[in-house]
Amino acid sequence: MLGTTQKSETSAFGGSMDARSPAGWMEIRGLTKSFAGELALDAADLDIARGEVHGLVGANGAGKSTLIRCLAGVTMPDRGRITIGGAELRQGSPQASEQAGLAFIHQELNLVPHFSALQNMLLGVRKATRFGLIDWKRSGIRARAAAKRVGIQFPLETPVSELSVAERWLVMIGKALALDANLIAMDEPTASLSEPESEKLFAIIRDLSRHGVAILYVSHRLEEVLDLCDRITVLRDGRIVDQALRGRLDKKGLVRAIIGHDIRAPEDREHFAANRSQQPIFSVRDVAWRSAVKGVSFDVFPGEVLALGGLIGAGRTELARLVAGVHRPDSGHFELHGQRIAVANEAEAVETGIALVPEERRSQGLMLDYSVDFNINIASLATFRNFSSLPFVSPAKGRRRAEGLVDRLGIKTPSIDAKIASLSGGNQQKALIARWLGAGIRLLILDEPSRGVDVGAREEIHGTIRALARSGVGIILISSDVEELAIVADRVLVMREGRLTGELAGRDITEARIIELSYHSADNAEREQRDQA
Amino acid sequence: MTKRSETTARTTSGRKPIDWRRAGLLFLSRYGTIFGLVLMIVFFSSMAPTTFFSRANFLNILSQASLTAIIAAGLTYTLVVGEFDLSVGFAASFIGLIVVGFMSYQGMPIWLSIVLALVVGVCLGLINGTLVTKVRINAVIATLGVGTMLTGLGFSYSAFPIATGIPRAFTNISLSRVLFGIPNPVFFMAAILLVLWIILNRTDIGQKMQAVGANIEAARLSGIRVDRIKMFAFGTAGLCAAITGTLLSSLLGSGTLGVADGYLLDAFAAVFLGSATLREGQFHIVGTFVGVLILAVGFNGLAILGAPANYQPIFKGGILILAVGMSALARRYAASR
Repeated sequence: MLGTTQKSETSAFGGSMDARSPAGWMEIRGLTKSFAGELALDAADLDIARGEVHGLVGANGAGKSTLIRCLAGVTMPDRGRITIGGAELRQGSPQASEQAGLAFIHQELNLVPHFSALQNMLLGVRKATRFGLIDWKRSGIRARAAAKRVGIQFPLETPVSELSVAERWLVMIGKALALDANLIAMDEPTASLSEPESEKLFAIIRDLSRHGVAILYVSHRLEEVLDLCDRITVLRDGRIVDQALRGRLDKKGLVRAIIGHDIRAPEDREHFAANRSQQPIFSVRDVAWRSAVKGVSFDVFPGEVLALGGLIGAGRTELARLVAGVHRPDSGHFELHGQRIAVANEAEAVETGIALVPEERRSQGLMLDYSVDFNINIASLATFRNFSSLPFVSPAKGRRRAEGLVDRLGIKTPSIDAKIASLSGGNQQKALIARWLGAGIRLLILDEPSRGVDVGAREEIHGTIRALARSGVGIILISSDVEELAIVADRVLVMREGRLTGELAGRDITEARIIELSYHSADNAEREQRDQA
Repeated sequence: MTKRSETTARTTSGRKPIDWRRAGLLFLSRYGTIFGLVLMIVFFSSMAPTTFFSRANFLNILSQASLTAIIAAGLTYTLVVGEFDLSVGFAASFIGLIVVGFMSYQGMPIWLSIVLALVVGVCLGLINGTLVTKVRINAVIATLGVGTMLTGLGFSYSAFPIATGIPRAFTNISLSRVLFGIPNPVFFMAAILLVLWIILNRTDIGQKMQAVGANIEAARLSGIRVDRIKMFAFGTAGLCAAITGTLLSSLLGSGTLGVADGYLLDAFAAVFLGSATLREGQFHIVGTFVGVLILAVGFNGLAILGAPANYQPIFKGGILILAVGMSALARRYAASR
């Protein structure tokens, strides 16, 4: 539908296809890659100028990672050329990519936890030696200079395990600079950062850009991309469908380009106002745990989507894990349908009807080597027994359930026997939610359910959450994405540093109000000042 | 340069090309072990058509494979749940010793001796399980410690082989051929493998075992009692070791210190060969059985061809490295694409 073949054509979404700068320092031409017959990247042309901040957006599976993996030399493209400063890049060689000045920072941050920041920065770097032994002082000169450039305040001898996620990002960027990178590709850099931390990162990115280091910025957070990037490239189904300079594209246009259609505006939606005189489905009473949760009380009413907003580290994930039986609270208790419950472990929580869809999808949710069928059914095996008193399960009963749920939630998979690892993030997340549907669940906690999920799947997940709530399942939604809360929550409790700091309901749920309660309060401003001093 | 890339572009753009190299590697990673087994049988049959390729010899191979298959199937369970059991060989030796001791020294009836021996086997497994799940000792250390202690305990029980006072009925358990002239251990193996296969693939607990091995955190959050599942796996491994130990003593007509220790390595080789069979790196009963057959056919064939005994460990180690290495390479290639 979109004119990608004719360069001069203005695209349907306001971006101009001839936004490609002719003075590309890096030129990608006709890059194509298919996996098992499926085109993951279809003749992509892309130019990146020196010092440009280039946004790369698209739904999961649109080809962003394939493009980046080709640049990094870890995937061999079927066709196409990459030239850097006029010299052709040898493809399929990570070493060649590194020598060409390309650096890659993945979401997982490949750092060795018990190594110091300096050791990590020097990993893979030829170190200076003295009498055949590593001379850390001389080796570290470049790294220390790079650390200064990105504004690292902590001593470089600190083990990475003691650093915050934001500080780890600085280490990774410092490492790239120490290796003379001319282009740094960043994958979802702000996914685990708080707002102030993100702001600091943006400042560093702008500074790098001024000094001629190009940034390839991959993110689902569109506001960020619109705000930060000089140019934005939109990928859909392996093809570049739009390219626009800053200011030539707004968020609506960007969303449309990514998914190919509009999404419902959040203002139009109805808010469900729960009857507060009803008995709550679930109650939290004065729960405290270590230093993370400091006396929290609230109720979940039937029909509503209750959300916990706030910053990363506010204690929401810890609270969720307490409810799910991973930890026991130090004080306080929970009530389910008015009855006090004490669960000793995760299994007891599940038996009483409480389940958690965890934040870390891959490490805590999925059995990656197993099929969609297995992953959906693993929590409800007892319902597939041939005879309820015997432990034998009928695979056919399980398959029927899995197939029904795949249809119902619109999980895109070639079959229920496909490995779950082969699905996109959004479909994996849907499968994790499907695990609990019809499994006698009474309270479902969803921790960051749409992290790393593309726009289209996100909308479908929201629909599922809402439908579950309306059907009488208690819902606690945890999200650091204020926009998401404004779209899906009926009532938002904002948490900060282990305490509830505010409650918003109905039309009061706006991004501005949530952000305000999350960190723009008096004592937080104080802390920020302290940090700056 | 340009010309060549243009021509390749033209040929690949029309139809979706089949990546033969990738397909080949995938085939190798899944069916390579079975292919190897067939190849070995064909090779030995052509080299020794009368001696190797005969009903009697095939029964001999199966009979030899039986005891390894039973102990290896138990070991498979511990690996399915993501643990290890290095004590199975020592446990089989120890139980093989005490089971005849119960009859010879304590004068117990056969049935009671066997029941007690199997109970001891389960208990040893549960001790391993407790050390791993409750005390949280690394399984390699815990099971090696228990296994080492068992060799000492066996020595304390009887420093000399027990060869007298063993009822004929006991040795007949594995020596006689109840049906079709097939040695009894083959039936024991078939029954045990079938039961273990059913448990692993067709019961709650088997699915849960697989989930625990696949992702322990996810399994916990799915409401699976992970420690219990692991205890079950260790208990089964202990029981299987006990069965192998008992059958071995019955076969030999004596109880000897350390006689089954060598099964540990055979079982591990078989289980890892099996993990490269039909699936990509998962442990399962059918795979383990194929692994056991590869070892048994190899040993038997080499012996029939007159290869000196020192070729056996070379064959065993070599084929293990070859199979596991091949599947690891293929898997990595498939994953990197």
